[in-house]
Amino acid sequence: MKVAMIGWEYPPFKAGGLATHCYGLTRSLADKGVQVDFYMPKTKHRTSSDKNNLKIIEVGETDIFPYDRPDNKELAGQFFEAVYRYNDLVVSRVKGKYDVIHCHDWLTMKAGIKIKEKTKTPLVLSIHSTEYDRSGWIYPNQWFIDIEKEGMEKADRIIAVSHFTKKVCVEKYGINPDKISVVHNAVYPIPEGHKQEIVLFLGRLTIQKGAEFFLRAAQKVKDYEPDTKFVVAGIGDMLPKLITQALDLGISDKVIFTGRLSEEEVKHIYGISSVYVMPSVSEPFGITALEAISAGTPTIASKTAGFSEAFNNCLRVDFWDTDEMANKIISLIRYKPLHSTLSKEGKREIDLFTWDRVADRTIDVYNGVI
Amino acid sequence: MRLNKFSVFNIGNNDSHGSYFDSQLNKNIFLKVAKKCYLPTNNILLDLIRKYDGKFRISFSLTGTFVEFCEQYIPELIDSFKELFKTGAVDMIEETYYHSLSSLYDDMDEFEDQVKMHNQMIKRLFNYKPRVFRNTEAIFDNRIAKKVADMGYKGIITEGTEKILQWRSSNFLYKPINADLKVLLRNYTLSDDVGFRFSAKMWPGHPLTADKYANWMSQTQGDLINLFMDYETFGEHHWTETGIFEFLKHFPGEALKHKHLDFVTVREAIERYDTVGEIDVPWAISWADADRDVSTWLGNDMQIACFNELKNIGKQIKDKGDQDMLNTWRRLQTSDHLYYVSTKGLEDGDVHKYFSPYDGPYDGFINFMNILQDFKHKLY
Repeated sequence: MKVAMIGWEYPPFKAGGLATHCYGLTRSLADKGVQVDFYMPKTKHRTSSDKNNLKIIEVGETDIFPYDRPDNKELAGQFFEAVYRYNDLVVSRVKGKYDVIHCHDWLTMKAGIKIKEKTKTPLVLSIHSTEYDRSGWIYPNQWFIDIEKEGMEKADRIIAVSHFTKKVCVEKYGINPDKISVVHNAVYPIPEGHKQEIVLFLGRLTIQKGAEFFLRAAQKVKDYEPDTKFVVAGIGDMLPKLITQALDLGISDKVIFTGRLSEEEVKHIYGISSVYVMPSVSEPFGITALEAISAGTPTIASKTAGFSEAFNNCLRVDFWDTDEMANKIISLIRYKPLHSTLSKEGKREIDLFTWDRVADRTIDVYNGVI
Repeated sequence: MRLNKFSVFNIGNNDSHGSYFDSQLNKNIFLKVAKKCYLPTNNILLDLIRKYDGKFRISFSLTGTFVEFCEQYIPELIDSFKELFKTGAVDMIEETYYHSLSSLYDDMDEFEDQVKMHNQMIKRLFNYKPRVFRNTEAIFDNRIAKKVADMGYKGIITEGTEKILQWRSSNFLYKPINADLKVLLRNYTLSDDVGFRFSAKMWPGHPLTADKYANWMSQTQGDLINLFMDYETFGEHHWTETGIFEFLKHFPGEALKHKHLDFVTVREAIERYDTVGEIDVPWAISWADADRDVSTWLGNDMQIACFNELKNIGKQIKDKGDQDMLNTWRRLQTSDHLYYVSTKGLEDGDVHKYFSPYDGPYDGFINFMNILQDFKHKLY
């Protein structure tokens, strides 16, 4: 079986969970004998593959990221133009005979559709997030929605990362639920470090990820657990606002903003943190939660986060309920048996979330369209 | 018994420890179950005893907490139990007044106190002194057997598990290795056929009819078959629509068709039969979950931490002599609170999930531990 997979990011170049997913998926597919040609934009870091079945093909260059929004970037005017240009470039570069075209999220959907129509090859579409998620359900942008809707309609089969996301595809995009398979993500486990009294937020600092709720909870914890430090790791358009918020809340001495972290630094911070908080307003899956849990770090996640549909050993809160978030953070710091049990049982459960399983499910989907 | 939501921010800033218990919710649940189960089942049992002229015989084990709820919310339910008892075909079983794990404390004083409280309650309601004891969830080991024998009981009920029987049958009476006491062992297969499996459509025995069940019983070897089940089996675990009440109505008649079958109360059982062998139980067993031990309540570090917190303040509570606090402490000992903190996986975990009011064991722990910390705060 030969698959043309059209992506946007791939380690070491990485802005979010999409890169992690493509890396894990393509490698496990290759191990199972599927031939994968992975198309992606040229980046500063050279990306390569050490597997025979897996080829990384770099196509042109682009300044756009899958998480970009046209209204908050210098290239605003040229944004749409740049997207179309890259998609056209991809279409011209994908040559040869494939059994399946597999695209991820909105950025390459247009290319996927064109290649499908040109070569009469079935199209599989993975939905990692929708415009509704990225906008935090506030003023979603119709331009993205239209692209997503067209892609979902024209795809032969859709893979959603959670039932939560499947429901969005059905209810907001009007897609037939029988066309959508749910395949939960997986994780490469991260080693546990020497735990310190650190409560961690890690993710893009965008409205979707809810870092502001993390800071509000931090303020409530401060008086009860004065030795606790709060780390906000990541970059994004909300950063200046969050720094001001920390000052206003009087917790700037307790909060550390790290900025962008390298792969190694990310692993380190997961390892040494005592609590991971994922207060996302909308979270189709939440691969970072699995990464934290794999490093033995108990996790408090939004109730609606996709991964928690299939995961028992974590704590859940409403993202806006910062009292309950603080209650759970303090409990994790104070009650050692709670911390140790969550850490132990979480790591045990993580073993079920392998890329091997994701590849098997994905191959099932391929077989359904060939 | 359900607790109120109690966060770390509530610790130490509320004077009333009555607020630990969600009395409105407890009342609602109790009334709902009373209507679906306790009241209709009592009526059916009374009819059956009369219909078969006392040949259908049963035994009840009622906690003090249950009786308190009855007296507060549906006093006529107590009257109904009294009427059942008056028929002479009903026996009362002793247990701890609270549905507690006090038998597992290092010091057995609290256990003895709770048994005495129950004893006084049964005397007050039924003017009766039970001879047979059943511990919370049938928890049993040599130490408990010895204590119960020392307190003057003649029989004790526990689980007929292979763990203690090996190749032997549960359908006889046994004697604990270290105490003069007759042990009644629950026949878990036949008990669970009704208690668990009655409405399970996947089960080959489904649908279970009274004559089929009576046939199974008649083919069983031994002196006696101990059928013990939750009272909620009738109308709550299995709803009316499953046919559970019809089953119950026909069961005595079908059983009595077999000449070698009759019904006895637990007291009559130990008077009629002798023990056939000894059992040695160094580690506590129970009738809960597939493990049949105490891991349901003490299976992880969180459960053990809560258990120890509760246990360790016992002496101070008693020294303080505050009746309200003592009562609260004992209600907090209800094993449900620890049950909700169980992290056991797979099938058992599903049962826990079904009964739990919390979003998982970790939330159960946080709430219970916060309450225990507040309670300690008030004590010192």
